[in-house]
Amino acid sequence: MRFMRLASTTSARVLARGIACSPLIAVGTSHAQEMLSMPAATAPSPGVLIPRVQARAYFYEDGQSLLEQDIRLEYGLARDVSISVDLPLYQGFFDPPRPSDGEFGLGDLEAIVELRVLREDLDTISTLRAAVYAGAEVPTGTGGFGGDSFDPCVGGVMTGIFGRHGVDLSGRWTFVTGDGPFLPIFATDADDDFANVDLGYAYRLYPSEYGEERVGAWYATVELNTVWTTGGEHEVLLSPGLLLEAPTYAVELGLQLPISSETSDSTADARPELRLGIVAGLRLIF
Amino acid sequence: MLLTHTPARRARFASAVALAFVTPTLLLSACASTPSTTSMHDPASAPGAVYAPETLAPGRYALVVLGMSCPKCISNVDLQLARIEGLRDAKVDMRHGLVTFSVPGPTHPSRAAVSQAILDAGFTLREIRRIDAEGGAS
Repeated sequence: MRFMRLASTTSARVLARGIACSPLIAVGTSHAQEMLSMPAATAPSPGVLIPRVQARAYFYEDGQSLLEQDIRLEYGLARDVSISVDLPLYQGFFDPPRPSDGEFGLGDLEAIVELRVLREDLDTISTLRAAVYAGAEVPTGTGGFGGDSFDPCVGGVMTGIFGRHGVDLSGRWTFVTGDGPFLPIFATDADDDFANVDLGYAYRLYPSEYGEERVGAWYATVELNTVWTTGGEHEVLLSPGLLLEAPTYAVELGLQLPISSETSDSTADARPELRLGIVAGLRLIF
Repeated sequence: MLLTHTPARRARFASAVALAFVTPTLLLSACASTPSTTSMHDPASAPGAVYAPETLAPGRYALVVLGMSCPKCISNVDLQLARIEGLRDAKVDMRHGLVTFSVPGPTHPSRAAVSQAILDAGFTLREIRRIDAEGGAS
């Protein structure tokens, strides 16, 4: 769930690399109406492995930019228990330059255990599901990306699908036990604990009703992705997106637009101000 | 790293780890002691359903399934049903919440295996019907 972190030379080059790279690594399966930038209360079946890859380009003030490739593996341990690992890869272009500018660096690996605590299928289409999860961020970061500590986290997520409408609500708390990166990029890079609170809505554009044939479904999505730190920082992003989900693949494309941001005195000078984020993902189902 | 932290921060780290890993363990234990949570429909309790650990005779069947909300659900059901020996030609009709399949024989899958497959796929099995000329609802 590295994608819950909030963020954003040559912007066109970054975007082109992101879009070009994403299908090269993308294998796996999709999740039911999963939003682009927040978790959903869905999980792989027992014994099923789900790889997922997303490319993100963040554009900051003064032409600075950051490319993120996010690789996620999720595995179903039992009917309602799954584990996941998430490893982000970054390439930054900042002004003034940072030590790792132009080079790829690993972010912190995240490992999560998720337990589904509610599954209430209401009719042939509609369902209500909830899950709780816990895990930690492991300090695998290189090149100035990631923190230096093992940071546990706990969270919960609820997903409701009612006909053509889908709603996700998610909350997570991360206990930061060490120092953040020397030069912070994200709102979560300080050494303060932080909370992620996300709200998402999906509307099935097509088909209006499912038929007997296998068809893909188009969804319009909108999310409110927020992060709040105990140090007084916060960031709120509005994230509209488009999702095509078919039985064997899914394609997603979205934006992240900052609508509110507050930085603390300790990070205000170092952390660049996000102007726009672009998300592209391709998921395949075997 | 952690070794350089102050005692207070180490204590906070330890409590955070405990909270992060003990909580799901307790939840997991609770669920393990309750084979079916109250939110999951037991096919045996569904009105009109007949659920017994018997095998399915050769024929064509339809499963009435709840909660298949997206195209991905088709793959989930396919993956789980494909693991059952003796079950062929599974097709998902999302509009009506039906999963049809054939049992050609000579291997006869059990009703329990089919029920488990649907539950493992993440959905609620409401009923197993036999839909060929031989059966009617079974």
